[in-house]
Amino acid sequence: MIRNYIKVALRNLRRNKMYAALNVAGLGIGIACGLLIFMIIKYETSFDNFHRNSKQIYRIGTSFKGESGMWYSAGVCFPAAEALRMDFPQLEKVAGIFKRGQTIVSTGDAADAQRKKFNETNVYFAEPSFFEMFNFNWLAGKPQTALAEPGSIAITREIAEKYFGNWKFAMGQTLTFNNKDIYKINGVIEDVPVNTDFPLELVASYASLKNTGVSGNLNDWVSTYGSASVFVRLPESMTPEKFSKDLVSFSKRHKPAEYLNILVAQPLADIHFNSDFGNFNNRTFSKSLITAITLIGIFLIVIACVNFINLSTAQAVNRSKEVGVRKVMGSSRKQLAFQFISETAIITVFAALLAVILAINSLPLINILLEIKLSIASIPLSLLLTFLVGLIILVTLFSGVYPALIVSRFNPITALKNTMNAKAVGGLSLRRTLVILQFAIAHLLIIATLVVVGQTDYFHTASMGFTKAAILNVPVPDDSISRTKLQFLRNEFLKNPDIQGVAFSYNSPADNDTWNSDFRFDHATKSTNFSATLKWAEPDFFKVYNMEFVAARPYAASDTVAGYVVNETLLKKLGIRDPNLAIGKEINLWGERKANITGVVKDFNSTSLREPIGPVLMGAWKDLYQLASVHISPGKTKEAMDFIENTWNKTFPDYVYRYEFLDKKIDGFYRQENQLSSLYKLFAGIAIFISCLGLYGLVSFMAVQRVKEVGIRKVLGASVGNIIYLFCRELTILILVAFAIAAPVAWYFMHNWLQDFSYRIPLSASIFLVSIAGSLAIAWITVGYRSIKAAIINPVKSLRTE
Amino acid sequence: MLLELKNIFKWVTVGGTRTFILKDVNLKVNEGDFISVMGPSGSGKSSLLNVIGMLDDFDEGEYHFLHESVHKMKEKQRSALYKQYIGFVFQAYHLIDELTVYENIETPLIYQDIKSSERKAMVADMLDRFQIVGKKDLFPTQLSGGQQQLVGIARALIGKPRLILADEPTGNLNSKQGEEIMELFKQLNKEGVTIIQVTHSEKNAEYGSRIIHLLDGRVEKDGL
Ligand SMILES: Nc1ncnc2c1ncn2[C@@H]1O[C@H](COP(=O)(O)OP(=O)(O)OP(=O)(O)O)[C@@H](O)[C@H]1O
Ligand SMILES: [Mg+2]
Repeated sequence: MIRNYIKVALRNLRRNKMYAALNVAGLGIGIACGLLIFMIIKYETSFDNFHRNSKQIYRIGTSFKGESGMWYSAGVCFPAAEALRMDFPQLEKVAGIFKRGQTIVSTGDAADAQRKKFNETNVYFAEPSFFEMFNFNWLAGKPQTALAEPGSIAITREIAEKYFGNWKFAMGQTLTFNNKDIYKINGVIEDVPVNTDFPLELVASYASLKNTGVSGNLNDWVSTYGSASVFVRLPESMTPEKFSKDLVSFSKRHKPAEYLNILVAQPLADIHFNSDFGNFNNRTFSKSLITAITLIGIFLIVIACVNFINLSTAQAVNRSKEVGVRKVMGSSRKQLAFQFISETAIITVFAALLAVILAINSLPLINILLEIKLSIASIPLSLLLTFLVGLIILVTLFSGVYPALIVSRFNPITALKNTMNAKAVGGLSLRRTLVILQFAIAHLLIIATLVVVGQTDYFHTASMGFTKAAILNVPVPDDSISRTKLQFLRNEFLKNPDIQGVAFSYNSPADNDTWNSDFRFDHATKSTNFSATLKWAEPDFFKVYNMEFVAARPYAASDTVAGYVVNETLLKKLGIRDPNLAIGKEINLWGERKANITGVVKDFNSTSLREPIGPVLMGAWKDLYQLASVHISPGKTKEAMDFIENTWNKTFPDYVYRYEFLDKKIDGFYRQENQLSSLYKLFAGIAIFISCLGLYGLVSFMAVQRVKEVGIRKVLGASVGNIIYLFCRELTILILVAFAIAAPVAWYFMHNWLQDFSYRIPLSASIFLVSIAGSLAIAWITVGYRSIKAAIINPVKSLRTE
Repeated sequence: MLLELKNIFKWVTVGGTRTFILKDVNLKVNEGDFISVMGPSGSGKSSLLNVIGMLDDFDEGEYHFLHESVHKMKEKQRSALYKQYIGFVFQAYHLIDELTVYENIETPLIYQDIKSSERKAMVADMLDRFQIVGKKDLFPTQLSGGQQQLVGIARALIGKPRLILADEPTGNLNSKQGEEIMELFKQLNKEGVTIIQVTHSEKNAEYGSRIIHLLDGRVEKDGL
C-alpha cells in the first residue's frame, strides 16, 4: 500500500511541478536554516566541554565596584595562583596561565643566519597543571617536565610546521621573544580544536614570567591583569557557593584594604557566553544571541510549514476527485489521511535533501559572518542525522496532519461532483490565520533587522567627536632604544607630502584598553570620588584627530606631564560650569604627576558608543607611547601605506610591522552587533522570500480556481485593474492585521535591545512604515504578477472549458 | 432478497423550507435483478443510487442489505459493507488520473487488504477478460471514453461484488460504445451479478429486467 502511495505522490509531484517546486523550495530553505542554526548552536555550546570533569572547573576572576555597578575582569593579580594553592589544599588542581600580547618570535638565536621572524599573538605562560586540567594532546614532551623550568616552551604542531617545516624537527630548538628572551622547545602540542577558547600556539613555562616585563608584579596584590587567569578544579564535595564565600575571605586576607576587589569563580561553561569577563579568544557568543537565533530558526521553519499547509490545503481541491474515487473504492478515512501524510513526508524528505545541500554550501558564508570555523565535521554525524530525521518527522506532522484531515473528511459524492472549491475545502479562516501568522513573523524580523542594521550603521557613521577616517594606527616598540627613535620616525614620515600629521600616544582616542584613576583637583586634600580615563598623548594628537577645544588650548610638547587637558564631562563631575574657570587649576595624580589644566577639549567617545562619555584626563608622557597615529591624505592611501611600512621597517629592523585603520578598529568594538545584523539581514531576507513563495503559490491556486469567475467578470466589463484589486484586497487586509500584531511586539523587544547602548538610534515611526510599506510592496508584486496573468486571459477561452 | 428500502425520505432544508429529494421510496431488490432507473433530470435518480450504495445518508426510513440494518450502522461499518459487496460505475468514469490502468483496477483490492500476489492474479484475470492487457500501463487520459469506462467496470468488478451500481454509465459514450457496455452488463447479469443502472435512454433501459420511474423523488412506476 505504501508503494502505491509513494507512486501516486511522485506522479503528483511530477504533474504539478510548480507546486512541488514551491513546496520543496520553501520547506528546503526553511529546513536548511533550521539545520544551520542547529549546527551553530551545537558548535557554540560545545566550547571547552571536552575537558575531563569540565563541570568542576572554574576560572578565578576579579569583581570591581564601579560607579555604574559591578564590572568584572577575567584575570587576577599574579600572586593569587600560588596563594590559592596554599590556602585551599582541597582544590584538585590550580593552574595559572598568562596570555601576553603581540610578541616577535624569532627562530634560533642572534647568531643564526637563517633566522626567521614572526609576529605572534597567541603566546602564553602556563603552569604544567594547566595541561592536567585541560585535555590538550601532546605530540612530544610532557607538560610536567617541559614546562617546569624557566626558559622552556611548548609549541603547537601548526607553529612547529610553520617554523621548522616538520614538527618533529622542533624539539630542542630555541626561540627568541622580542629579540631578548631565549626559550628552548621542550614539547609539541597537537593543534587545539576549533571549539576552544584557549587558542594556544606558544606556551612558555609559567616560571619564565620572572624574566619578562611583568616580573615586578609577580608579588603585587594590587594590580589585576586581565590576561592573568587562574583555573581551579573543585573537588566534588565542594559547592561553588561555598567556594565563592571562601574567596571573599581569601581576598580580604591577602589584598590591601584600600584596593580590595573580591575574587569570583566563574564556571568554565560560562566562559564562552559571558561578555562581562571575555576570554582568550576575544569572542563570546551571548546566551541571548543563542535565544535570538533559536527563535529565528523556529520562525523560519514555522513560516515554511505554514506555506506548505496553505499550498496543500488549497491544492487539495484538485485532488478531490481522487479522494472521492478512493473513498468509493473502499478507502477508510484513516487510510486516506495516511496517504496524504506520507505524501507530505516524501516532499519533506526531498526538502531535507535540498536543505542539506543548501546548508553545506552556505557554511563558508556563515563562517565569515560569524567569524567561526564551523564544518560538518564539527558536529557528530549521528547528532546531525537525529536532528534531521526529527525535524522531518516534526515538519511532516506539523504541515501534513491538517491537510490530511481536511482531505480525508471530504464527502465522496461532493468530491466526485467536482463542485469542491476552496471554500468547500474548509479551513479558509485557518488559512487566513496562517497567512497572518506568517506575515507577523516576517514583520517582526523586518523590524528587528531595520533596527539592528540602523544601529550598526549608526555605530559606523556617528560622530565620536574626533576624525576616524584615513588615520592609520601603527604600534611602535616600547623598549628604551626604540623610544629614542620616535622623533626620527616622525620626521621621516612627515617627509612624505601625503602624510598630513603624525602623533604618538599611549592608545587611540577610542580604545578598549582603558586606564582609569582618581586624582586630586585644585590642591584638594582628598581624591575625587570618581575616576577619569587617562590618555597619554603628544599635543599633536589633538590636531591629527581634529578634536575641538571649548576652552584654551593643548598642553605644550614635553616628555613628561607639563599640563593637562580635560574634557567637558570631567568638569561637569567637578561641578564647574564655565570651562574657562578651570584653566590653570592644578591636577595631582598619585601625588607625583602634578600640572595645571591648559585646556578643555569637547567631549568625545573614548570607548564604544555603548558606554556614555566619561571624564577624560590627558597629558604628555613619552615613556608610555606605543602607538603612532598617521593621518593620510585622501586618495593616496596605497602609496602612503607602502611608504609608512618601509620607513617603519628601516627604523625598527628587529621588529615586525603592524597597522590598523582606526575606523576598522572602532568597527571591531561592535563585532557582536555587526554579526547580529548580518544574521538578521540574511534570515529576514529568507523569511520574506519563503513567505513570498507561499503567497505566489496561494494566489496561483486562487487564480486557477477563479478562472471562470474572472472570465465572467470580464465579460461583464471588469477591467484588469478590477481583477487585480479582487486578488490583492484580501491579502492587503491580512498583511495589515499581521502588522498590527507584530508591531507592538517588535517595538517592545527592539526598545529593550536599544537600551544597551548609550548612543542609539530612535525607534522611529519610519522604521515601522518602511516595514509595512516594504512587505505590502513585495506582496503586491508577487500577487500582482500572478493576478495580471489571470486577468489578461481571454474570457472566451476560460469560459469555454466549462 | 439482496436489499430492501422501506419508506426512505431524504430532504434538504433551505431557508427553513424542506425540499424533498427522495420521498417515501420503497424498493425490494432480489439477487440477480437487472434494474434500470429512469426519470427526468433532478428526479432523484443519482440520490437513490447513492443511498443504495451507502455513500449518502437518508433522513427517514429503513434500509436492509443482506439482512443487515444499514440505517443503524456507523460510517465505518457501512463502508466495510459496501467495500465488500458493491461496485460502482460512473458516467464520468472517475478513474484516478495518477494511476495506470493496472493500478486503477487494483486499488479496491488494496483497500480490501488482499495480498499482493493474489492481487496480481486477480488484476491479470480482469485485464484478460476485458481484453485490455495491452493497455495496462497506460494512464486514463491516454484512453478513449469507451476504454475508460471499460476500465471503470473492470475496477467495479475486481472485488467480486454482488451488486453493481451504475449512474449513467453510457452517458459520455457514443451509441456503439454504449451498446458494448450494455452487452457487458447483460453478460454480467447472466453470471449472477445484480445490477442497478440509471439511464436516460429507453433503449438501454430495455436491457434491464425491471424499470423504475422516478419523478420528484417518488417512485412513479415500478415494473416493466
Ligand atoms: N446536497 C444537495 N443539496 C441540495 N439539493 C440537492 C442535493 N443533492 C441533490 N439535490 C437536489 O436533489 C434533486 C435530485 O438530484 P439528483 O442528482 O438525484 O437528480 P438526478 O435524477 O440524478 O438528475 P440528473 O438526471 O440530472 O442526474 C435535484 O433537484 C438536486 O438539485
Ligand atoms: Mg444524476
